[in-house]
Amino acid sequence: MTDQISFPDVVQWAVPFFIAAILAEFLWIAVKGRGGRYETRDAVTSLIMGAGNIASGFLLGFIAYGFFMWLWKITPLDLGTSIPVIILCFVLDDLRYYWVHRFGHRIRWVWASHVNHHSSQHYNLTTALRQTWTYTFTFMMVVRAPLILLGFHPAMVLFCGGLNLIYQFWIHTEAIGKMPRWFEAVMNTPSHHRAHHGRNARYLDCNYAGVFIIWDKLFGTFVPEQEDDRVDYGLVHNIGTFNPLRVAFHEWVAIWRDATQPGLTLKQRLAYCFAPPGYSHDGSRHSSEQIKAGHLSRHPEDRGTPGFEHVEQKLPNQPAEQA
Amino acid sequence: MPLEILLVLVVGGIAGITALLHLTGRSRLRVLSADTARAEWVRHFPDDTIIDVTLAHDGRAALLRTETGPGLLWSFGADTVARHLRDFDWIDHPEGIEVQFHDFATPGVTVRLDETERRHWRHLLEPA
Repeated sequence: MTDQISFPDVVQWAVPFFIAAILAEFLWIAVKGRGGRYETRDAVTSLIMGAGNIASGFLLGFIAYGFFMWLWKITPLDLGTSIPVIILCFVLDDLRYYWVHRFGHRIRWVWASHVNHHSSQHYNLTTALRQTWTYTFTFMMVVRAPLILLGFHPAMVLFCGGLNLIYQFWIHTEAIGKMPRWFEAVMNTPSHHRAHHGRNARYLDCNYAGVFIIWDKLFGTFVPEQEDDRVDYGLVHNIGTFNPLRVAFHEWVAIWRDATQPGLTLKQRLAYCFAPPGYSHDGSRHSSEQIKAGHLSRHPEDRGTPGFEHVEQKLPNQPAEQA
Repeated sequence: MPLEILLVLVVGGIAGITALLHLTGRSRLRVLSADTARAEWVRHFPDDTIIDVTLAHDGRAALLRTETGPGLLWSFGADTVARHLRDFDWIDHPEGIEVQFHDFATPGVTVRLDETERRHWRHLLEPA
């Protein structure tokens, strides 16, 4: 079993590229007068969140890496580090990313970490860097366990994960409309990912892909960006702070307050932690399904269109006890 | 990458981009009109029916009466944030009033009001 394999930390090496690309996008918007918006405090918050993400990797990364190396010690399989194995690892790790991302939107405990990435009302290359500081506490590293047990070395898995994140940087832009049709069919693109960042009812819980959009098409979560429904970026309930500490921890604080309020059953407390965002024991909040149903009650003409194909008729204020 | 080079890149990158955005006018706050305040409220709360809008003189905040109760909309960078006025406190502030929400993600906002507006907004915030 090979323990001493090293791959470069590609995300760190990509930092100069990130800065150059942000400057290029800003200049493009300034010169052309279209293709996105920049706002100082929003961008600074996003950049500080990105820096904090790297710092949290330094401080807490050993937990996931220790777990992966323990798995590597117990698995009898070793696929080596040939180019085909690295490519296979990249594709399978992208499948892993799809599911972690989907959990990130459908399980509040994981959403508490991921929410900050969606907390900007802007969509530009700095938004790509608005990353979590608390991923370790979601325990989503367990979703990578099968890859390592199958014989992919932890360093290679993390290398592929880094490449995946770098790929996702360039799709956070309004400066690019649509890519060639074949590319849009297979790859995640600015258009697909703009839809993912939408707070419009149509775009809630869609397009979880990292690199390959085929996963969304395969698992039924693909919604193409619609010309007649311009994406409105941000959260269903947008936050009113640029303070990075509040951005990083606000949903964790909200979970604590919800789950510890008096008079709840144990099931209700657990639901506040692990049910989809929007759960409430008294029906005072709306889940994404209820928001979509509410939209259809106001706009029945949208029934059956992308993003509304599978919406059941559900009263918006119905308690989400089934969660 | 050596840590010291990474630090220089990150700190220098953030400082440089911040300066560039500020010096090119990207720090200006959104200024609202009664119509844009209405449109923004509906963007935040599509279910609501607005009764009327009271705009602060500087155009950076608006108090809205809706069929589900009053709400506050305010400029947030180039965008807006809106909250129904349900769980909140307000206190006088030298420049107007300070509205405090009991929400870690939206701690509060200072609304700039002149003396005439302040009396009117007090009345709206405490109708009884």
